[in-house]
Amino acid sequence: MAKILHIWSLSKTFPGQIALQDATFDVEEGEVHALVGQNGSGKSTLIKVLAGFHQPDPGHNVTMNDEVFDIGSVEAAHAAGIRFVHQDLGLVEAVSAVENLALGFGYKTSFGKRINWKEETKRAKQALLDLGFDIDVRVPVAFLGGAARTGVAIARALQESDRNISILILDEPTANLPGADVDRLFDAVRRLKARGIAVVFVSHHLEEVFEIADRVTVLRDAKVVATVETKELEMSSLIELIVGHKVTAATINRSIDQSLAPRLSVQNLIGPGMDNVSIDVRPGEVLGVAGLTGSGRDTLIPLLSGAMDRIGDVYIDGVAIPAASPNAAIAAGLAFVPADRLRNGIISMMSVRSNVTLANVKRNAKGSRLNHKKEKAEVNDWIGRLSVVTTGSEAPISTLSGGNQQKVMMSRSFRLDPKVLLLDEPTQGVDIGAKEEIHSFVDSAAATGSAVVVASTDSGELARLCDRVIVMYRGQIIETITRGEGSMLEKIDQVLLAGSSLAHK
Amino acid sequence: MSTNETAVKKAPTKSLLTRMGLDRFSALYLWGAFMIIFGLWKTDTFLSFQSAKLIMGENVSVGILALAFLVPFCASTFDLSIGAVMSLSVALMCFLSDEKSRAFNMPVALAAVIALAACTMVGVLSGFVVVKLKVNSFIATLGIGQFITAIVLKLSFNRQITDTFSPTFQKFGRNQYLGIPVVFFYLFVAGIIIWYIMEHTPVGRFIYATGGNPEAARLAGVKTDRITWGTLIASSFLAGVAGVVFSAKVGMFTSATGPNYLFPAIAAVFFGASQLKGRPNVLGTFIALYALAFGIKGLQLVVGTDSYWVNPLFQGTTLIIAVALASQKGVARMKKRKAKAA
Repeated sequence: MAKILHIWSLSKTFPGQIALQDATFDVEEGEVHALVGQNGSGKSTLIKVLAGFHQPDPGHNVTMNDEVFDIGSVEAAHAAGIRFVHQDLGLVEAVSAVENLALGFGYKTSFGKRINWKEETKRAKQALLDLGFDIDVRVPVAFLGGAARTGVAIARALQESDRNISILILDEPTANLPGADVDRLFDAVRRLKARGIAVVFVSHHLEEVFEIADRVTVLRDAKVVATVETKELEMSSLIELIVGHKVTAATINRSIDQSLAPRLSVQNLIGPGMDNVSIDVRPGEVLGVAGLTGSGRDTLIPLLSGAMDRIGDVYIDGVAIPAASPNAAIAAGLAFVPADRLRNGIISMMSVRSNVTLANVKRNAKGSRLNHKKEKAEVNDWIGRLSVVTTGSEAPISTLSGGNQQKVMMSRSFRLDPKVLLLDEPTQGVDIGAKEEIHSFVDSAAATGSAVVVASTDSGELARLCDRVIVMYRGQIIETITRGEGSMLEKIDQVLLAGSSLAHK
Repeated sequence: MSTNETAVKKAPTKSLLTRMGLDRFSALYLWGAFMIIFGLWKTDTFLSFQSAKLIMGENVSVGILALAFLVPFCASTFDLSIGAVMSLSVALMCFLSDEKSRAFNMPVALAAVIALAACTMVGVLSGFVVVKLKVNSFIATLGIGQFITAIVLKLSFNRQITDTFSPTFQKFGRNQYLGIPVVFFYLFVAGIIIWYIMEHTPVGRFIYATGGNPEAARLAGVKTDRITWGTLIASSFLAGVAGVVFSAKVGMFTSATGPNYLFPAIAAVFFGASQLKGRPNVLGTFIALYALAFGIKGLQLVVGTDSYWVNPLFQGTTLIIAVALASQKGVARMKKRKAKAA
């Protein structure tokens, strides 16, 4: 296939940091090209330079359709026929798809500057149908599903004459999408490909790369390591390219003493998305929770931790903990890491130190006086143990990458020596190296006798971590899968699939 | 190749603004500029120990009121009732210990205790409205401020109350110690206490955490409702203290007493929040307070007799400039963060 975009020796230096070094990258006409690498490996920099958000360092050479492409300005990228959909989509949530599309393009007006809504609606409907989304374009986009919203963002990026648009770049389009929505999005990507538009997408989910990409470019430490045809690639070698060394997933070999009294006992739990569920988790056991969004998988941990109000009893070592009080739950020996790190986890204006110690500040206080020295030492110890990449305990947490912020959230929980540890999507948006580190910390928490509950949309993660996985559907447990009964991953996916087919009936 | 020139031009350097610390220490620079400008202009009047003393003493009540605004503000809660609460404190002091009316004729100490208790109760009420009734703090305290103003007007019949305090009490407000107005030490002590709580105790950490992200703080086990409620009680108490100090120093009540101090207090906190650590803090507030105070005094001396309009003009302008500077800094920081995240 013909190469349309060609980049040679593209570099980008920030004060004190090389974000991209001598990158060579090309895009072929109508291909799907995945861009992978750990957080901070340079993929976002590459995209942002392409989009014109950053000026590249001098010395590069970029051509688009054999003409010099003056990279580094938004206008140039636009004129070259490159379009972008960023991770946050940039939609106005409160208004409809029709209006979101018009925002980028301008309204068609008839006599007296009156907006021709009929025409606009028809146009938006068609644009989304072309992408395979048969949705009501008149409802506020906030009510649409994740895939449909991404669809609206893509349609908006592609509107106006798409004959001169040749590359669409999607930055982590699947980061927050449940499985079924990923399929719909990929359907849209295939339709674009059929229209001759090349799609470049960034993803942390490597199985997606194999599912949809023709070629994959791997970045590591600000350099392009390789560009490979996915046909010629295996998962293990792709992971090796990304992290730079062989990764052997730890195999769990622990036995749960079923005769022990349950450390965490949940009885007749009722709440949003939860319909009378009872669970026991024994000391040292890791329980996984799988299910689609809305099945109860996403509300179980908020209900147990006190983030949401509930009906039903929760006991830790036989002692009841009150509902809707994270404070009481933590005092009773529970620790948890919420799913939405930015909204519910970190306090972005505070330092790494303050974020780590927040759940138990008093440990480093004598009377009411904080011992800053002791606190710094403790936090620096945690930074070392979880290999958090940061300049130190005093760095503002907002300067850390997502994966490292997540490690800070982990250390906030681990330092409580919890009897019960609840993790909600513990590795969402976390790169593969940090993921394995977080996983091994979960192993060690179980080894010390904590009862651990992990809710995750990542079946592979559940299979890696858990002794037992419950699959939820409409607020109830429809299946329990125990380690040692064949491939856990396959079973989880089978039940999830069965669940989603039930949902479509 | 083609982009070499532009790339070189836009090569990232620290801006002059940042290197000189103009962003984080702008209040100090401003203070220095005032001292030089007005010092040259009105050398004998402005650059005298006498006027410095005057400025130090005059701004103590505003300073304590600024601390009152600062505490809930750190928890992202507004308390706009503090001006009215300060006026309630002064009115109660005058009303309860007035010798001429003989209505109560209480000892001043008892009147002060009652005034502070009443002010604290206002904080309890504000906390209830904000935490339990879940009214936005801005609205809640604005409303409660009006409510308090009504009580004050009723108490005072909208008249001045003068000559009510014993000379012993007025000593607490008018004496000097080491050549410095004694009230200045009250502000100093109050500042140290608030600074200690905010920076060196778990409670301070909880207050900042609640201000930074209330839901995340709650999920981390911080009792955010109690923190919010507590900061509102603290702010009303401090506003009461500002009123007691004002009573000792000035010794009279007019209905304009408290409300007129609200804006300068808020201006100092906002301006101060852009200083030093880039978050609301005691030292920054004090620096901003006195930088503005010296500027106003200088301008008043220059303008001369009809300088009554100088104060609001100056306060308003500097507040907007200070916050604009701070948000420029915020914009720059965000750009930097984005670049780093890449």
